[in-house]
Amino acid sequence: MVEDAFIPESEDALASSAQRVLIIGGLLAVAVGMLFGDIFAMFVLHPNNARIGQAMYEAALLIPAGDADGIMGRFAAIGGYLENRGTKIDAHSHMIHMGYLALLLAVLQPWMAFGARQKLQLAWLYIASTFLLPPSIFAIHYVGLAFSPLEHIGWASILADLFGFLLGVAVVLSLWGLWKYFRNTKTVLPTPAFLQGGDPASRTLLAGGLLLLVWGFLYGAAYAAWGVSGQATSEVAILKDIVGHAAAQQTALLDADFGAYGVYQMYRAINIATHTHINEMGILLLLLSFVQFFVYYSETWKKRWARVAVISAFGLPVGILLELKVGIVGSIVADLAGFGTIVALLAMLFGLLRYTGVKDSHSGGAA
Amino acid sequence: MNGPARILIATGLALIAMTMFFGVGYAVFDEHQTLVGMGTLMANGFTEAARGDLQAAFESFEAYEALSREYRNEIHSHGHWGMLALILIVLGLVFNRLAFTAKQRIVLAWLLALSAALFPFGVLLQIGPAAALGEVLAILGSTGMVLGLLATVYGLLKRAT
Repeated sequence: MVEDAFIPESEDALASSAQRVLIIGGLLAVAVGMLFGDIFAMFVLHPNNARIGQAMYEAALLIPAGDADGIMGRFAAIGGYLENRGTKIDAHSHMIHMGYLALLLAVLQPWMAFGARQKLQLAWLYIASTFLLPPSIFAIHYVGLAFSPLEHIGWASILADLFGFLLGVAVVLSLWGLWKYFRNTKTVLPTPAFLQGGDPASRTLLAGGLLLLVWGFLYGAAYAAWGVSGQATSEVAILKDIVGHAAAQQTALLDADFGAYGVYQMYRAINIATHTHINEMGILLLLLSFVQFFVYYSETWKKRWARVAVISAFGLPVGILLELKVGIVGSIVADLAGFGTIVALLAMLFGLLRYTGVKDSHSGGAA
Repeated sequence: MNGPARILIATGLALIAMTMFFGVGYAVFDEHQTLVGMGTLMANGFTEAARGDLQAAFESFEAYEALSREYRNEIHSHGHWGMLALILIVLGLVFNRLAFTAKQRIVLAWLLALSAALFPFGVLLQIGPAAALGEVLAILGSTGMVLGLLATVYGLLKRAT
C-alpha cells in the first residue's frame, strides 16, 4: 500500500492533489509575501524609521530639563514603532520562507511514504498554517493585549504561536514520512523527471541561484569579519555621546551625534537586508528551477520568464545596496526588481495551472 | 535517492523541524522579555542622564549592548538554521548531477550538513559561558559552508562542460 503511494508522483509529475496543493500554495505564498514586502518597504519602513529617529531626538532634548516622564513617554512610542516594524518584517519573511518550504515539500512528495489521503491532509495542514501564521503576526501590533488572558502576550501572538506549532507538526510528520521511505531499502525510486533538469530555463535558474548563494555567503562572511574587526562603529559609543552632549546642551554636537546614529542604523539595516535578500533570491531561483518541468509554455517563453526572474533576483539586492550611495534611486531599483520577481512568479504559476489543466483533460479529469 | 542526497535532505528537514520548535519556544518564553529588557535599558540610559548620573546612563547602555547582542545571536541562529536547512534540501535534490565520485559526494554532503548545523549553533553558544567555543564553531561552520558550496558549484560546472 505504501509503495503504491510513491508511484504517481515519481512517474507522473503533479498527478497527486497533495503535490498540487503544496506547489500552487507555495508559489502563491512567495508571491504574496514579496508583494507585502514591496508595499511595506514603500509605505511603512521609511516613515517608521523617521518617526523612531524623531522620538529619540525629542527624548534627548528632554535630558537637560530632567524630564524623566517625558523621556519614558517617547520611548514607549518608540517601542510601538519598533513593534509595528518588527511584526511586518516577520509577516513578510515568514510568508516567503513557508512558501519556499511548501515548494520543497512538493518536490519531496515522491519519497513521502504515506497514503494519498494522508499526504493531502498533511499538505492542507501545512498550507493553511502558512497562510494563517503571517496575518496573525501582522495583527500583533493592532490587537495588542485586548481581552488577553495573559499579562504580556496577546491573542494574535497566541494564534501566531499556534500556527507556528502546527507548521512544525506538519514538517515533523513529513520528516517521519521520509524516514519511513529511507528505512525501506527495498524501494528505490527513479529520479523523477522534474528533477532531472536539462532544459535551458531550468539551467539558467540553477546557475543564477548558485551564483547568488556564493555571493550571499561571501557577503555575510565579509560583513561578520568587518563587525568583529573593530573598524565598525559602536552603537553604544554613539549613544553615550548623545546623552553626554544632550546633558551639556551642546546642540550642534547632539545633531552631529544623531546624524552618526542615523548613518550607523542605515548601514546596519542595508547590509543585513542585502545579505538576506541575496540568499533568499538564490534559494528562490533554485526552487524555481525545479518547477520549470510543470510550466506549460513554449521553450522560448520559459526562457524569457527565467531570465526575468534571474535579472530581478540580482536587481533586488543590488538596489538595496545602491541605497547607500544613491538613496531613493536604489530603493526604486529594489522595488522594481521585487515587482519583476513577483510578475515572473505569477507567470510561472499561470504556466503551472495550464499544465494541470492539460494533464487533467488528457486523463479525463481524474486527477 | 542516493546516500549523499539522503544525508543532506534528512539533515535539512531535521534542522527545519528543530528551528521551528526553537522559534516557537523562543517567541513564547524569551523574545518578548528580551525586547522589553532592551527597550527599558535604553530608556534608562536617557532617564539616568536626565537625573544627572552619566555613569549610570553609560552602564545602562553597556547592558543594552550586551542584551542586544544576545538577541541578535538568538535571532541569527534561528534564521540561519532555517535558511541553511533549505539550502541543504535544495542541494540534496541536485547532488546526483555533480561530477564527483560517490565517495567525494558523501564527504561533501557531510561537510555541508555538519557546517549547516554547527554554524548557527556556534552563533548561539556565543551568548553563554562557552563563547570561545562558539566562535570557533561559527568560523568553522561558515568556512565549511562556503567551501562546500564552492565545491558544489565546481561539480555542477565540471559536469556541464
